[in-house]
Amino acid sequence: MDQVIAMSLLISTLMLFQIRKISDSVGILAFQSVILSLTAGAMWYKTGFSHLLTAAVLTLLVKAIVIPSILQYTIKKIDIKREVERFTSKYTSLFIALALSVAGFYLTSRLQLPGTEHGEPYLAVSIILIFLGTFLMIDHKKAIMQGIGLITIENGLFLVAESLSYGMPLMVELGIFFDILVTVIVIGILSFRIHSTFESLNTEKMQNLKG
Amino acid sequence: MGWIWTLLGIPLVTGLLAWRIKIQKVCERVQVAGAFLMLLAGLTVAYRVLSGSPFTGENEFIYVDALGAFNISLVVLVGFTASLYSVGYMQHEVSEGIITERQFRLYYLWFHLFLFTMLAVSVVNNLGLLWVGIELTTLVSALLVAFYKKGTALEAAWKYLIMGSVGIAFALLGIIFIYLSGIHLLGEDPRALDWSVLSQAAEHLNPKWILIAFIFVLVGFGTKAGLAPMHFWLPDAHSQAPSPVSAVLSGVLLNTALYGIFRVFTIANTTLDGKAAQFLIFFGLLSIAITVPFILVQHDLKRMLAYSSVEHMGIIALGVGIGGTLGLYGALLHMFNHSMAKSLLFFSAGNINQKYHSKRMDRISGILKAMPVTGSIFLIAAFAITGAPPFNIFISEFTIMMAGIKGGHMWATVLFILLVVLIFAGMIYYVVKMAFGEAPAKLEKKEINRWSTAALFIPLVIVVMFGLYVPPFLSETIHQVSEVLQGVHR
Repeated sequence: MDQVIAMSLLISTLMLFQIRKISDSVGILAFQSVILSLTAGAMWYKTGFSHLLTAAVLTLLVKAIVIPSILQYTIKKIDIKREVERFTSKYTSLFIALALSVAGFYLTSRLQLPGTEHGEPYLAVSIILIFLGTFLMIDHKKAIMQGIGLITIENGLFLVAESLSYGMPLMVELGIFFDILVTVIVIGILSFRIHSTFESLNTEKMQNLKG
Repeated sequence: MGWIWTLLGIPLVTGLLAWRIKIQKVCERVQVAGAFLMLLAGLTVAYRVLSGSPFTGENEFIYVDALGAFNISLVVLVGFTASLYSVGYMQHEVSEGIITERQFRLYYLWFHLFLFTMLAVSVVNNLGLLWVGIELTTLVSALLVAFYKKGTALEAAWKYLIMGSVGIAFALLGIIFIYLSGIHLLGEDPRALDWSVLSQAAEHLNPKWILIAFIFVLVGFGTKAGLAPMHFWLPDAHSQAPSPVSAVLSGVLLNTALYGIFRVFTIANTTLDGKAAQFLIFFGLLSIAITVPFILVQHDLKRMLAYSSVEHMGIIALGVGIGGTLGLYGALLHMFNHSMAKSLLFFSAGNINQKYHSKRMDRISGILKAMPVTGSIFLIAAFAITGAPPFNIFISEFTIMMAGIKGGHMWATVLFILLVVLIFAGMIYYVVKMAFGEAPAKLEKKEINRWSTAALFIPLVIVVMFGLYVPPFLSETIHQVSEVLQGVHR
């Protein structure tokens, strides 16, 4: 069962490289967060650590509902050219993403990280999520997609913490959620301003500062 | 304990008040008064910690030792002068019609929130919350960098936000590894991320995980501290932000990121038996070296100052890496001196910038004639920052050199001296060209206003005086901080 969930996380992340419109990514991101919340909930059920339940509920609220709504709102407000723009073609980026996934599996098996009993199956996927999030940020030209890459990285980190140590202490967990929420709001504000100044969200237009 | 809450509360209240008060004069006075109260509270906390024992409280949630007190003092000192300087700077921007009245009030809100986040970083015990605090400093200051709604400011803010957040995500991975080795020792316990607990148990932590953790934290917080090769956001953000904000970014935000590194370093260096220091020496030297070409061919005044900050963060990292009583003493003294000299430079650069309506160095000449006070202070600050005697930075750089030679880091020290001399030559060439010569004819020969001039004198006195002699309270403070860094428990 764990393997199936881990695989669906991986596949949903790979789908981020195949989207045509930016708004498609929001749904995928929300889906990813729902699964994440389920894994935390399942781990709470098995271990009884109450902070995992809090993390599960917060993931559902913040990452699966609030953040996607903010992103959706921002995308809707900025109403021109919603197609994604990449540096590589659709197939090249999928190929690179797959290669990164294989590298992630290999790396995790070599590192011999001490996973927890219930988190072990997710370890490799959590590392891959960080890789793919980073690649997403590099590959995409639109500012808001870089924000989506950032959230993917954060999701990966959440899963790493879960699989290595059943999450972080409660206060820290709360702080991290607050941070992610503020990050997305700031990303939204800056995207608005970038769009109204450059009439585009393409970060290639922002290359005036040098040296 | 009440003092800590007072200290954290003041900037929050000040920011909100300044935001709500619609009368410009009152708003300014309120925020200066708030910053002054924050200065008093901060120095009181620091004094109490340094003359007594570390503060622990609220379920060991809060922990302030000498290192924390040192960072708090720097934040409140630079924060207060910057808030004083902001009055003149922002008055000028409003009267020139560059910003609106609403932006004016928002500026003070963000500014004081920014100070709050940096103070919060310095008082928490838990390394996870320290991470949360450092991420918050990025988010608040990114809005300040984007304050002028120009294309270049947005570009800088975006780059800063993205690089800062990705960098800090890596630091979180490092923190997870520290937690892992902590719970391995203590069991599933929230205290397994408390610095006070971990530093006592450092010898028993798993060296392999701590090594991975330290590298991730160094790269992550190093991005925020502007250590090369993760420094690319820094010259953009520091040059595009309003000048008082640049002063705070360079003067204390970078220190706050270094503070995060030092907290982890203290643990890691004990666990790894001194091996962690080599990473600091490497990244330190690399940061100094990378700035040389950029300073030599620079066109923009504030960018040059920003690159100089990369250099000085490198020097501090190098000093801590060299270590020993002398190396740590030099590094921490340098941290203090750099905060003072760099904020002084950014303030005077702000005046110059507003006077000449340009940051391009080839369009600026005859500052001494156009603005005698700002001009002379700018010249002094520039000589100070490049390490010329008799100013304060000379003393700390010299101490680090001595420590390097005595500690057997001969190559590193020779390289350090060589690079510092090159940077001195490059910066002084441009500064002298700007300071002397004829001022443009149509320029009115007058300072910007009395607030902008008055604020310069606080750091100026320190830069000049502390070059001639380091007062006993400062050297005593620094000794206590270096004991914390060496892992001595009092």
